[in-house]
Amino acid sequence: MTTFIIRRVVWTIPVILLVILMTFLLMKQIKGNPFRHTERNVPAAIQHNLEVKFHLDRPWYVQYAYYVKGVFTLDLGPSMTQRSRSVRDIVSDGFPRSLKLGLLAYLWAIVFGVPAGILAALKPNSIFDYFAMLFSSIGFALPSFFVATLLIYYVSVKAGLVPTSGWPSGFWSLDSRVILPSFALGLFPMAYFARLVRGAMLETMQQDYVRTAKAKGLRYRRVIGLHVLRNSLIPAVTATAPLLGLIITGTFVIEFIFSIPGIGRYFINSVSNRDYSVVLGITVLTSIIIVIANLFVDIMYGVLDPRTRESR
Amino acid sequence: MAVDRREAALPTAPPAVGVGVAEEASAGAPVAQASLWKDAWYRYIRNKAAVAAALVFIIMVLYCLIIPGFWKIPGIWTSLKGYDPNDVDFTQSYAGFSLDHPFSTDKFGRDLFARTAVGGQISIAIGFAATFFILVIGVVYGSISGFAGGKLDNAMMRFLDALYGLPYLPFAIITLAIIGSQNFMAMVIALTIASWFTAARIVRGQVITLKENDYVRAAKAVGARWYRILARHLLPNTLGVLIIAIFLELPGVFLGEAFLSFIGLGINPPTASWGSMAQDGREAYRLHPEVLFIPCLAIATLVMCANFIADGMRDSLDPRTRETG
Repeated sequence: MTTFIIRRVVWTIPVILLVILMTFLLMKQIKGNPFRHTERNVPAAIQHNLEVKFHLDRPWYVQYAYYVKGVFTLDLGPSMTQRSRSVRDIVSDGFPRSLKLGLLAYLWAIVFGVPAGILAALKPNSIFDYFAMLFSSIGFALPSFFVATLLIYYVSVKAGLVPTSGWPSGFWSLDSRVILPSFALGLFPMAYFARLVRGAMLETMQQDYVRTAKAKGLRYRRVIGLHVLRNSLIPAVTATAPLLGLIITGTFVIEFIFSIPGIGRYFINSVSNRDYSVVLGITVLTSIIIVIANLFVDIMYGVLDPRTRESR
Repeated sequence: MAVDRREAALPTAPPAVGVGVAEEASAGAPVAQASLWKDAWYRYIRNKAAVAAALVFIIMVLYCLIIPGFWKIPGIWTSLKGYDPNDVDFTQSYAGFSLDHPFSTDKFGRDLFARTAVGGQISIAIGFAATFFILVIGVVYGSISGFAGGKLDNAMMRFLDALYGLPYLPFAIITLAIIGSQNFMAMVIALTIASWFTAARIVRGQVITLKENDYVRAAKAVGARWYRILARHLLPNTLGVLIIAIFLELPGVFLGEAFLSFIGLGINPPTASWGSMAQDGREAYRLHPEVLFIPCLAIATLVMCANFIADGMRDSLDPRTRETG
């Protein structure tokens, strides 16, 4: 087990380096150097000094090495449009807000999606199952920006129950403003979990060991709790990593709609302002989060299901 | 969006069972797939939800084509009423629902019944084009990786693992920035580059499963070259999975296009897509919610239909999954 974890952790390092390399090289393809061909006439000497300062006069692999060093020392360089701020400032400003939004969305999904899936699987083809699955099909199909605007229109504007935008400032502070954004973001994961857990439960209930457990006279509750639930929640754990990518994508749009100053909003603004160091920094950051989430899920998977340790 | 649901949803090598028998009987002869596809068809039309979804899907595509016309063919609605979906007429701004404008009009007085159809053409075309390229790249990458096996396979899969770490939307947005323009092809390329990984994995998995079948060994034993095995025995048998994959990829691509257009990074106005129409509608949705709701409902309906069609196809091509799906 320990070797499995160590091997898996060591393996993430080249993956992270490769991800940074891919993003870095992609960003290099975008035309234009921030200090060249600008509207202002920058004197050649200043331009040269700026290029030296940011290593732009060196070949790309040296720049890459500097950037990797920057990533590991948490120095992501200066923002190219916001004079006084570094990428690190912007990220440390926006990231906690986005993280809170994502975690709350995930909470919606776990609190409502997983039980819905379990209940639907316990009584397949019942009215509840039918409605849960209908709801999950709808949750799958509705674009989150539509859900968000619907909620703003009916809950905030028409009913006046919660404010239309804004976000509580501290990481731990919660108020009514978090409800709508996190629900709009959490709807897809909720539908996803409900469907996944239901499918896994139904499949597990057909397994021989469940039949054996029933045959030896174990009470229904114990069969479900001990044998079925434990084994059918594994897919839900594994689904966390691909879901994370979706939640990150979702935060971009949700932050845009609800005017939440998280990294997604900074990202979209930076793309329109061609602030490439911020774009690069946020992309690398989210990539590293996804890689680490994959690592975590793989390890969890190894713990929960020993068969997978050998093959990975 | 790159979800592993698509992999999980796929059957593991369903066509191999039926086709394998036919293949052993006459190695090298054209693949006799009729019975399998006929079976699948009968199973599919018995699934009411999937049939309804397919019908709605077809009706929506027809609506998008017929109402405004396409290519050089004039549209029924536009020539009947004399509308141009891009024509601005401020006297008709937000005209409301009427027989002249069944879907109302937008800020510029453009008839939304025609414009939704035109936008649908773009959205659906982007969806299918991106899905096509995703599958082409997926088939090439996946079949090379799965067929070669060994170190090359390992390296290619590790590379794919690393790409999985790249978040979908930023990746598409960066690609758009590299291309530097926001037209039809740019959208297709951005969406393809951001989401081909899953298709590659699916194809690789399928090829690896099929590779171990007896008829492939038999073909090898009689001296068939690798490209013949690949083209003749392996790829035709991934067809079922690929057809399902079309409808599994479509929703992600539709939603991706809608997301990009909605945050203003999609197709440039005045060209309409459902995402950009939703973005237009957001400006005034408090007074005129229909302007936002119509394109959004169109996206949602199409995505839902694609999901149901994918489910129905999976069930009909692999009846084993029906019990648990």
